Amino acid sequence: MKTIAKSKVSALLDEIAKEFNLLVPTSGDGASKFAPYTPGSQASFDGRTLLPPKDVFFPQTEKMYKFTTDGMAGSLETVLEAPKHQMLFGVRPCDVKSIHELDHVFLTKGFVDEFYQSKRDRTFLVSIGCNGPAEPTCFCQSMGVNPQEADAVDVHLFDLGSEYGAAGKSENGEAFLQKYASFFNEADVQLPAVAEFALNPNVEGITEKLQQMFDHPLWEEVSKKCLGCGACTYLCPTCHCFDISGRVAGNQGFNFRCWDSCMFSEYTRMAGGHNPRPSKKERVRNRFLHKLQYFPERYGDLLCTGCGRCLSKCPVNIDITNIIKQIREVELA
Amino acid sequence: MITEKMRAAAKELLEKGEVETVIGWEKGTFWYNSTPAFISKPEQADRLVFDEFCANNLAKYLLDYRNADGKIAVFVKGCDARAVNRLLQDNQVKREKVYLIGIPCPGMKEAPKTGAAQDTASLPLLAKCQSCATPNPVIYDQLLGDPVPAREVPNRFAGVEALEAKGADEKYERWGKLFSECIRCYACRNVCPACNCRECAFDANGLNWLGKQNNLQENQMFNITRAMHVAGRCIECGECERVCPMGLPLMDINRKIIKDLNELFGSYDAGLNLEDRPPLGHYKLDDPEKFM
Repeated sequence: MKTIAKSKVSALLDEIAKEFNLLVPTSGDGASKFAPYTPGSQASFDGRTLLPPKDVFFPQTEKMYKFTTDGMAGSLETVLEAPKHQMLFGVRPCDVKSIHELDHVFLTKGFVDEFYQSKRDRTFLVSIGCNGPAEPTCFCQSMGVNPQEADAVDVHLFDLGSEYGAAGKSENGEAFLQKYASFFNEADVQLPAVAEFALNPNVEGITEKLQQMFDHPLWEEVSKKCLGCGACTYLCPTCHCFDISGRVAGNQGFNFRCWDSCMFSEYTRMAGGHNPRPSKKERVRNRFLHKLQYFPERYGDLLCTGCGRCLSKCPVNIDITNIIKQIREVELA
Repeated sequence: MITEKMRAAAKELLEKGEVETVIGWEKGTFWYNSTPAFISKPEQADRLVFDEFCANNLAKYLLDYRNADGKIAVFVKGCDARAVNRLLQDNQVKREKVYLIGIPCPGMKEAPKTGAAQDTASLPLLAKCQSCATPNPVIYDQLLGDPVPAREVPNRFAGVEALEAKGADEKYERWGKLFSECIRCYACRNVCPACNCRECAFDANGLNWLGKQNNLQENQMFNITRAMHVAGRCIECGECERVCPMGLPLMDINRKIIKDLNELFGSYDAGLNLEDRPPLGHYKLDDPEKFM
């Protein structure tokens, strides 16, 4: 396998940055997230970032259309900012899975979202494996993710301690490894064993069970402590709900979309004021049913990657692994 | 031990039917997580715990029981008790509808960075507890344990004074950078016991007080409005800053406003008692009016 010493990665990044708009995990000022790499700056490959990479493809706020009016005439124009060829370097397998889930939503079932697609098509993915939980709240293994290796990428890097082992996962990936071959050596490698995860929720049969639990008292119970903030959904790598809104000034304006959260009280509020999800019970239930029932029914995949971000940042420790456990313990009549 | 006393008190209240729900804390995911618990049957009382990780201010949940038929019991630390006073002053809850069980608070601890088992004594106090001058509940029906000595707080405005000394451009740049990080999850607002509007202006999106774009302009509008709206009512429980996923120093803003209010209207600490009204919540003939 091709290997590269971890100490040589920054030199490789300096080289890549000449060709790509390079995004790497950073933990400088503020929360750790994927941010543009500038030669000489420090990328941080310890663990996963607090903010998932979803905003690279699906920004929190994104202009869609701009328009002008002039009497009875007017114009409408799609705002499609074609990004430079970009590279996401250092995505963890849980986040790779989240990109796969977002692809389901934005690219399949007969509709292609051009805003998402324009960024997705131009992004080269380099993943880095984990040899165990990056954080105590990690549970990716239980969600069907192999923490050591991601496949739906261009290049995957195995963590071998002081070096990475590189595997090309696509034609572009193979070509990339050829092009930068001078940074890599050829060596026989052995992957370390995967360290044990503290959290191991069992999701077997959960979708079928939840199909019978819409009116179960569990939802009232688990939602009592929820504060109704959007920290869980905004840090979630897979949550993808958005709202479309606009700004008008004089005879011109623009429409934009922005993240929305099913935990917010106004999320389902209708124009007349009626709200079919009037209390936190219905909102919390919807969040978990979307992840564990509705999404699997539609796409065959759970809408959770086990990254543990919601659990680590929830102000009141609402724990999806514990809720999965409680769902399993429910005895249906 | 406080935990045993808690369980006994909760069990007794529920058995006698004096309250319909007891709000306390129970253990969460890991040994360093304690999380709000809602107990409505005597046999559930053994879930309750009090340890160094019961940071959540439980007073906020009383708003969920505004229209409850029966009485609600809630465990209160010093900061939680001040929050209850504020809710009582704002007529959000009725005193006869709540039963307050006070717990003198030794200060809450930070979760360990790696999650590895370690002695809790070696963990640092939460930032919000380091500047707490009221560890003992200021209002209660029953007190568990002996009052703890108040912590020596050198000068809780030291951080604000350091910021005030900076130039306007430097301050603008600093806060611009911080507010740009805000993801507008509203955890700071939702956890805050002073945020008790029936409908928040920011949720009334038909009125468009606040646009939904995440950009500096809107984020500033949100953060400054939030801080100004709790002016004179902030009890300094520090929950907003503790829960901010982005780690924004929100208490710097709250404390700046408290400092300004103290300078304008005389020293005031929200929620210490029921008698003193918040400086912006009433009118006195000798109020300063330099701005008019």
